[in-house]
Amino acid sequence: MRALVIDDSRTMRRIVSAALEELGFTTLQAGDGQQALDLLESGEEVDLACIDWNMPVMDGLTFVTRVRANSAWRDITLMMVTTESEHGQIVRALAAGAHEYLIKPFTPDAIRDKLDLLGLIPAEEHV
Amino acid sequence: MTAAVEHDQVYAIAEEVFSAMIDGEPGYLRPWDGELPVAAEPLVAWVDVHGELAGRAAVTTDLETAHELTRALLGMGADEPVGPEDLNDAFGEVANVVGGNVKALLPTQGSLSLPVVATVLPEVPGTSLTHELRLDWRGRSIVVVVWLFQ
Repeated sequence: MRALVIDDSRTMRRIVSAALEELGFTTLQAGDGQQALDLLESGEEVDLACIDWNMPVMDGLTFVTRVRANSAWRDITLMMVTTESEHGQIVRALAAGAHEYLIKPFTPDAIRDKLDLLGLIPAEEHV
Repeated sequence: MTAAVEHDQVYAIAEEVFSAMIDGEPGYLRPWDGELPVAAEPLVAWVDVHGELAGRAAVTTDLETAHELTRALLGMGADEPVGPEDLNDAFGEVANVVGGNVKALLPTQGSLSLPVVATVLPEVPGTSLTHELRLDWRGRSIVVVVWLFQ
């Protein structure tokens, strides 16, 4: 499976990507929502996008809205990975079309648990 | 943010950030005992909270400790050199996660700025310090501060 990790922090992109690669994902990275959209529009196919909220150029919520507006990308699972942890923000993201919400700070196990809920953990990764 | 955020809550946030993101397990962050050493090369990272309740959350340490934090965050070896881009990004992200979780404690919603890293924290007129946590991370001093903008 392929995952797109979208965060303006390269540190966070590396942390999230490493956790996903441990679970068998191939990862792509983008520094903001617009870069991520450009990748999708160029034909890159992904099963999962992990999306930060606060980013320059295009924020994560706008990215989610834009992806959900395009039926060609309806199969992409969207997971917010962000410090935005107020209930209202979580509701906004889910209403916009995000499937899951992971609050920073997180552990690799927390990523795994969320992906398990989404049915995205390969069978061989289950203990 | 004075009444809205308790000292223990800020400490709990710092503890969670370090145990989850930096150390991989709890137990390496504790209150600093005694006088803080004067940093020869200080470094500070901060984010601002904008909204009805506005403020700033900052993390201050010395350059060497910031290098160690970066190595820990990125899973680098003990002697691996840390580039300035990785240093700014990783240290800024620590402040970002601390600040984001402090913001979540506020009774009103606001927005968070992108993190800034510098050698000196610029003063904001009318600011009052609400919390200062003097922390010991593996024998190194780190200070987490939260201000209220009035």
